[in-house]
Amino acid sequence: MMVNSFSQFESPVFLTIPLILLALILPWAFYPSRLHDDSSNRTLTLQNWFIGRFAKQLLASSTPKVHLWATLLVSLMLYIISLNLLGMLPYTFTPTTQLSMNMGLAVPLWLATVLVGFRNQPTLSLAHLLPEGTPTLLVPLLIIIETISLLIRPFALGVRLTANLTAGHLLIQLIATASLAFMWIMPAIATLTSILLLLLTLLEIAVAMIQAYVFVLLLSLYLQENS
Amino acid sequence: MFSIQQASALKGGSPLGAGLVQASRSLHTSSQSLAPVPPLPEKGGKVRHGLIPEEFFQLLYPKTGVTGPYMLGTGLILYMLSKEIYVINHETIAALTIGAIAVYGIKKFGPDVAAFADKLNEEKVAQFQEVKDHAMSSLVQAIENEKKEQWRVDGRSMLFDAKRNNVAMMLETNYRERLHMVTNEVKRRLDYQIALQNLHRRMELEHMVNWVEKSVISSISPQQEKESIAKCITDLKALAKTTQAKATA
Repeated sequence: MMVNSFSQFESPVFLTIPLILLALILPWAFYPSRLHDDSSNRTLTLQNWFIGRFAKQLLASSTPKVHLWATLLVSLMLYIISLNLLGMLPYTFTPTTQLSMNMGLAVPLWLATVLVGFRNQPTLSLAHLLPEGTPTLLVPLLIIIETISLLIRPFALGVRLTANLTAGHLLIQLIATASLAFMWIMPAIATLTSILLLLLTLLEIAVAMIQAYVFVLLLSLYLQENS
Repeated sequence: MFSIQQASALKGGSPLGAGLVQASRSLHTSSQSLAPVPPLPEKGGKVRHGLIPEEFFQLLYPKTGVTGPYMLGTGLILYMLSKEIYVINHETIAALTIGAIAVYGIKKFGPDVAAFADKLNEEKVAQFQEVKDHAMSSLVQAIENEKKEQWRVDGRSMLFDAKRNNVAMMLETNYRERLHMVTNEVKRRLDYQIALQNLHRRMELEHMVNWVEKSVISSISPQQEKESIAKCITDLKALAKTTQAKATA
């Protein structure tokens, strides 16, 4: 029952079974195991091509130490993009709208990049806190600012993903409701609203893919900075 | 745990066959997990309108003809709407929107994407084919080389014969040369002996002649010498007269 506009984002529970687990595991069904790499199935060929292109593009300009994270980053990207795109379908639940899940992805990974940096090259990692060529007077202030910017990164990562998807889903719901409400009263306005909804859905599909990519890209950048 | 026969029966038998085989392998309980994976089907099952499998229409065809499934679908939808089992809400509009986008996207970009996937597959198959062809051609080349080597081995006896002949000829030539040299040397020595003998004889002859001349000359007394000279003069005069007479006659 639609109590308020945000009730679509409640974690779905059916007869005390948390269905969010099902929603989280669903993308696993769409990617067959590596044993089928040589398959001549069209879908599989396209998937493998996409994964290869993405991995190459993400890790092209990075050191071999960063390549150790390749599996994690590529699988993270695939996971988030499938969750987002599946959420575009009607009556589906998008787990990435939950701040808890996104923070659960962002904080450990960001912290891992920072700790890897501080463990392997502590001087260089600390040096990142001060950009080159700052005037001497500004140095203390700038260090504080850079530290704050470093510590805010996990929150930024998580909240960015959550906010984008939540806002998108919310807008779709509101405009669809408006379109439905106008349909019997002012069909012309309903048509305009439907066109708006069409454009918005296109945008949402793009946002779903872009946000996944941005998440992974930023993580890889933080890693490159620290490795 | 499934036996291999049951697994292949599963694979071919029902529309879900391939999926069931894959699902039952995931536990790795039997040693079948070490076997190669049966491949995924190359093309998906035939669907009508992108959603409903063709087998469903074939199932209903004997009893309800061509329009049967459509009537069933319409009836179901109207039933759910009228009884408000399915309520039209904002999600319906959202579903229509995303359905429209999906259909448009598939209709417009579908063939291109399929052609691209087919091209990728072609390239992969071509690579394998090239490896296979290269291996085959190198093996054929190896066979030809081997045959040539065998032919060469067959001809080796002829080679040995020729070499043997060569050596024999060389030996013969050498022998004859030596023979020739020997005869030349012997002839030279014999010639020397002959020349020596000739020299001896000539020297003896000359010595004898000289001795005879000397003895003759010494035996000619002065009286005889005068007489012979006078005789010669009278002979000469007589000769002169006869020639004169011949000349005037």
